[in-house]
Amino acid sequence: MNHLPQAWGRPRDDVYGAYDSSYLQNGGPTQHTQRPIVTGTSVVALKFKDGVVIAADNLASYGSLARFTDVKRLRKFAETSVVGFGGDVSDMQYLDRLLNSLDIQEAYGSSGHTLNAQNLHTYLSKVLYKRRSDFNPLWNQLLVAGLDGESKPFLAAADLLGTTFSSPSLATGYGAHLAQPLLRNVAPDEEAASKLSLEQALEAVKESMKVLFYRDARSMDKYSIAVITKDGIDLKENEQLEKQSWAFADQIRGYGTQVN
Amino acid sequence: MSAMFSQNPLMNGPNYSFNQAPATASGGNTEHSFYPYTDNGGSTLAISGNDFTIIAGDTRSTSGYSINSRYSPKVFKIGGTTSSQDDANLVLSVVGFAADGEALKERLDAIVKMYRYQHGKPMSVKACAQRLSTILYGKRFFPYYVTAILGGLDEEGKGAVYSYDPVGSYEREQCRAAGAAASLIMPFLDNQVNFKNQYIPGSGEGHALQERENIPLPKDEVEDLVKDAFDSAVERHIEVGDGLQMLIITKAGIEEKYLPLKKD
Amino acid sequence: MDTLVAQYSQPMFEKENHGEDDQMELYQPAPSLSLKFAMPPVAQPSAWLRAATDDHANPNCPIKIAHGTTTLAFRFQGGIIVATDSRATAGNWIASQTVKKVIEINSCLLGTMAGGAADCQYWLAYLGMQCRLHELRHKRRISVAAASKILANLVYSYKGMGLSMGTMCAGVTPSEGPALYYIDSDGTRLAGNLFCVGSGQTFAYGVLDAEYRYDLTEQEALELGSRSILAATHRDAYSGGFINLYHVKEDGWVKHGFSDTNPIFWKTKLEKGEFSNVTSEMV
Repeated sequence: MNHLPQAWGRPRDDVYGAYDSSYLQNGGPTQHTQRPIVTGTSVVALKFKDGVVIAADNLASYGSLARFTDVKRLRKFAETSVVGFGGDVSDMQYLDRLLNSLDIQEAYGSSGHTLNAQNLHTYLSKVLYKRRSDFNPLWNQLLVAGLDGESKPFLAAADLLGTTFSSPSLATGYGAHLAQPLLRNVAPDEEAASKLSLEQALEAVKESMKVLFYRDARSMDKYSIAVITKDGIDLKENEQLEKQSWAFADQIRGYGTQVN
Repeated sequence: MSAMFSQNPLMNGPNYSFNQAPATASGGNTEHSFYPYTDNGGSTLAISGNDFTIIAGDTRSTSGYSINSRYSPKVFKIGGTTSSQDDANLVLSVVGFAADGEALKERLDAIVKMYRYQHGKPMSVKACAQRLSTILYGKRFFPYYVTAILGGLDEEGKGAVYSYDPVGSYEREQCRAAGAAASLIMPFLDNQVNFKNQYIPGSGEGHALQERENIPLPKDEVEDLVKDAFDSAVERHIEVGDGLQMLIITKAGIEEKYLPLKKD
Repeated sequence: MDTLVAQYSQPMFEKENHGEDDQMELYQPAPSLSLKFAMPPVAQPSAWLRAATDDHANPNCPIKIAHGTTTLAFRFQGGIIVATDSRATAGNWIASQTVKKVIEINSCLLGTMAGGAADCQYWLAYLGMQCRLHELRHKRRISVAAASKILANLVYSYKGMGLSMGTMCAGVTPSEGPALYYIDSDGTRLAGNLFCVGSGQTFAYGVLDAEYRYDLTEQEALELGSRSILAATHRDAYSGGFINLYHVKEDGWVKHGFSDTNPIFWKTKLEKGEFSNVTSEMV
């Protein structure tokens, strides 16, 4: 036992080997299965009085290469919920298959589907937490949108570590920095969100997608958008960003090739 | 100057002539693996009194400089018979990595519910405190990255607060702050709850000064202390804010209070 | 072929289910202090654990486990004195000033806590369980030698996994008389008259060695134990808080208070003229 005051009660080099901080780092060489390869960027979503609006662009990037331009990152579940996927696309497809099998199983039940968006979110977050605990994460950030047990709008996030949270507006990836402030302007709290009309929510989400396209280098102007209400899901998978204005680009100084 | 004394300048202090700083592995092919933890910030606080316990936590969830959510509770009722936990008599607060906290909460809740089913009576705080310790220690080699506090009323009806480290060492205390702003709140509590460094004016000269007698505070005063503690922590810590959730345990049951905190 | 069939005859989502172990714990009427631990699924669990918890090598490590202590115990003609401080530190943060570092294993056996607080609490509780089982099986109390050996063998089996504890087992039995053992997480087990353990051990040894005699009276022995801890809390930043004092006798242990060091320090200085290095003037 090491009796020196500062080292008291702590692991000794001669017993445990040198301190290896690489265990704490995310950078450096990583194992193949433990790093996203083909990725999707932000997903944004906003609650309004009758439901939730959720959107994600249709791009799957391979590093900085815009590799696949028609990847649908919003997925319906049981015509009552929508899951938006950010992060690794192969893991997204795995989760898609997983949800398909769950969907089939649930459909056999005597009362048909009983899983609402809240149940789905709980399920997915448990899968993600189990995988992170096995050190074999599913490298995704998810947004689950739909209605909860009381048919009120439901929106929650889950990520590769199993962390979960819920908020009137949510955005993953770059969206958390660029879109979330815009969405919080229209829906700072649950009360404000419960007064938003569909039109207001759609406008805010579309504006967010546009801002993301302006500044997120891994984004695209073709996107999917879904509106979930108690009447069902309205999913459009081939939307185009409208009324873009690049006039602001002129004013940018100090980045890229233009120095002053 | 400190470098003269210390080969490990981070642990400022006198050192020995032989190398004392731990060796650090570098170079070569090291296995880099997935890092399974994150810190979701926030702070929790528990104070017990003669016939009540208050456990509070802010409701902000962060990752890095981003705010995930402004309402993400860290304080939970444990072991009720329904999903609404209306008849619970225990409260658990968890701060640190939220996913581990959630997993810990659900595990403890399931165990306490099962205890009620098997024994036909609710679990005492004392028993639950010991059980929570073994749950945490069961992950000694892959810890839950959380600081837990358990609160309730003991067999005599007195307020009880048990605080934990991430691997399950625990202690019953009068009060405890945990999480990001623990270092801001705890000294305040030492002074205001345990009356540390408070003396009775005029009771003596110099070292003969009498210390202020330590008596448990009444409920309304403790409530005000909790509010003040969080308002102050919000001023000086970026990971604390948005809302204050307070669970007040008395023999009548658990009362929940929510108060807004600054959102900047 | 069977595995192939199994793979496709089971719905995919069932592969993501939790193991049965997780659910088993709910059905056990009383969960014992078990030896089943969750391990990080990596090649070198202990290196991984160290990376996450060693705040000496990396003060920025995410999980800080409570450390730092002065504990002592010594044998004398009237039994055994056990004394500790009560401070727990995590890095430079004082996590607690009120830790109970003397662990009451049963009415006749005491253990002390140094190193990882959780390790000591858990394993000494486990030891208490084993001691009780020994009593039930053999219809007589366990010897301190045997009890300490259970603990030593136990921690030795976890050697290299990252446990951290330095503990003393003190007890008086008819067969052994007063018996004192030191056990640490390397697996060391030593019998002796006098031990100090922890970051403040050197300071405690200084005082204890100077004044120690086997034929100390009970009053002198209690005073010496308390004074040694006081010296350590004064000079070791990682020690402080309260002085926890116990006396182990043939018919069980007796607690002699959990007293604040601050008034004791000033009393020692002002009334006995010790600690003359410290000024008593208040500016």
